[in-house]
Formats: sequence, structure tokens, C-alpha cells
Amino acid sequence: MNFDVVHGALYALAIYLAIGSIVAVPFLIFGIGRIDPAAKAAPLTFRALVLPGVVAMWPLMLQRWLMSGRTR
Amino acid sequence: MSASYTSVGWNRAKKAYDTTIATGLVVYLLFFLGIGLAVHPEATIETLLIRALALAAFLMLHVILSIGPVCRMNPKYLPLLYNRRHLGVTMFLVALAHAVFAIVQFHALGNANPLVSLLTSGAGFQTFGAAALVLFFFMAATSHDFWLANLGPRFWKTLHMGVYFAYALIVVHVALGALHAEAHPVLAIATGAGMAWLLALHVVAAFRERAGDRDTRRAEDGWIDAGLVDSMEDGRARIVCAGERIAVFRYDGKLSAVSNVCRHQNGPLGEGRVIDGCITCPWHGYQYLPGNGRSPAPFTEKVATYDVRVVGGRVYVNPQAHEPGTNVEPAHA
Repeated sequence: MNFDVVHGALYALAIYLAIGSIVAVPFLIFGIGRIDPAAKAAPLTFRALVLPGVVAMWPLMLQRWLMSGRTR
Repeated sequence: MSASYTSVGWNRAKKAYDTTIATGLVVYLLFFLGIGLAVHPEATIETLLIRALALAAFLMLHVILSIGPVCRMNPKYLPLLYNRRHLGVTMFLVALAHAVFAIVQFHALGNANPLVSLLTSGAGFQTFGAAALVLFFFMAATSHDFWLANLGPRFWKTLHMGVYFAYALIVVHVALGALHAEAHPVLAIATGAGMAWLLALHVVAAFRERAGDRDTRRAEDGWIDAGLVDSMEDGRARIVCAGERIAVFRYDGKLSAVSNVCRHQNGPLGEGRVIDGCITCPWHGYQYLPGNGRSPAPFTEKVATYDVRVVGGRVYVNPQAHEPGTNVEPAHA
């Protein structure tokens, strides 16, 4: 594979995951209970367990969170 | 079930399952390292660990892929399925450890970024392994019921069926990597045997299920003949097929029919039992009331229900499904 392409792709991935890490914190504290009531009173260990998935799929989770605000 | 999430709903069975996995893994690693050092005293611990972890993950993947068809053929293996997710997450962690050790050993000592070195080294087998690892990550990261509920059962199931694609990637990874480097044929024979085993298991399980579906007969008005009432065991179901599979349960002198597909992970409800008045999925214990297909409060899952009648000692089911959670008067057995 081309060195520059790989370097660029990994750089983009790092930025994507960094944004995901930033989004994940407020989402796991406030947002997760808004999109799923069963998660509202869930313990910290549950939030830690779903953290990797939230970081990886943060655009979807952020969209759900924003949508949950609109439908109230 | 989905009243409020916990990290892991521990019980005795899950603890025993996870203890077995952890103990087996530790014993295996010690055994592999011991034998490896005895046979190849020149090998470094890092090299042996890379190989031990790779083989462990590959074997675990075979076990994971075998559990589904084995349980479909013989319900006595269902305890293996009960906590398969933990086995999958463990397999991902073992594969990740293999990848980390391999990257450190082969790509971290130069000037280039190790990940850039990995993907540009020209050794294509590593790219296949990396792609499989990404898939395993998504499956492990979304293994909690929260993801099943929020990604939707169809998307979640499709994502997790990606394990077969990941397996194909791993076979290519092994073929272009370890098999290419290894002169002795035993590894190639074992890899081929593993593929043949999985293929045979899935084909046999599929044929058995198809044969069961073909036996379904219909009355003149289109209702499905589920057989004689007296041949049905109390607390158990008979599964009939009308495009969708339907589970007809006999319990407490009554007969009710619900969709055979559990809302949790599409488990086969008809292979479960009626426990404490509820149909109980054999996979993870999700429960539904036979008369209306609803999970008992505070849970909210619902499955489709069907009309049932008994004529001349035979049970008939209307293949037209009611909306999930619809109350249907049970027939008298």
C-alpha cells in the first residue's frame, strides 16, 4: 500500500477516534439515558463496557442523542 | 431483559463458564510455552507468545462457529451457547494480544510508525489479519444487549454474522502467513480439517432444519397441521413453518402459538420450555407469556401470536400472525 495513503488514513482515523472519545464522555453521562431509558440508572461498569462501541460509532450515537431531544 | 442494564448479569452458570474459559486459556498458554521452550530452546518468549495466542484465537473461533449448529442438532449443548458472547469477547482480546505482540516484535523497532509499517511492509497476510481484527472489535464492542436494542435486531444480527467473513479473512491470513512459512504439512492439514469440520456442521444442521420445515402440512382452509395433541409434551413446543417458524406450546391443559424468534438474539423459542408460566428462550432465558407473547412486567419485549384450534385431536395453527403482544385465547388441549 502507498505510504502516504496509509499515513493519511491512519491520521484521519486518529482524529475520528479522538472526537469519539470527547463525544463519549457527555454521551455516557447524559445522552445514553435519553436514547434508551433502560440505561438511565445503569451503573458505571455498564457505561465503561459500552465505551469502546460509543467511541467507534460516535456519529450514530450523537445523531440518536440529538434526535431524542427533538422528539420530546 | 431490558428493564435496566447491568454490566454483566452474573449468575452461577456465567461464572462457571467464564472460569472455565479463563482457566483453559491460562493452562493452554503455560502448556504451549513449556512445550515450545523444550522443543525450540532458541525461540524467544515473545515469538512463542505470538504463536500461542494466534493458535488460541484460531481454535476459539472454531469453537464459537461450531456452537450454533451443534446446538441446533442437539439441545444438550445449549449451555455452551448460553454465554457465547463472553467466549467471543475473550477470543477478540486474545487476537488483539497476538496483534500487539506481533506489531511490537516486527514493526516497532524501526523509524516508521508501527501501524504504517504494518500496512506498507508488503506482507499482505497482515492486512487480512488486521481487517479481521477490526471486525472482531466491532462484534466485541457491540456484544452488550444495549447495542442489540439500539442498533436494532436486524442490523445487530447482520453485524455479528460478519464473523463468517472474519473467519474467511483469518483463513487467508493463516494461509499466506503461517502456512507459507511452515514447511511441515501438519498446520495446513489442521487448517483444512477445521474448515471441513465447520462446513460439514453447518450443512448438516441446515439440512435437518429444512427437513423439519418440509414436514409441515396444511388443512383445506390454510391452517397448519401441527400434529396430534397427545403427541405434544407438556411445557414444550412443536415448531411448524409457514414461511416464518411458529412455536406451538402445550402447557397447563392449553395450547398457544407464538413466533419462534426471540426478540433478544433471534433464539429459537420453540426449543425452550414453559417455566413459571412463561415461554423461556433456551439461549438467554428471555421470557414471554404464551397467551399474548409479552414479556412479564417490567420487561417490554413482544413477539407475534397466532390463533390455535383443536379438531379431532389434532392441533391447527392459523399462519396469519397477530401484531406482537396481541392477546389470543388459548385452545384447550
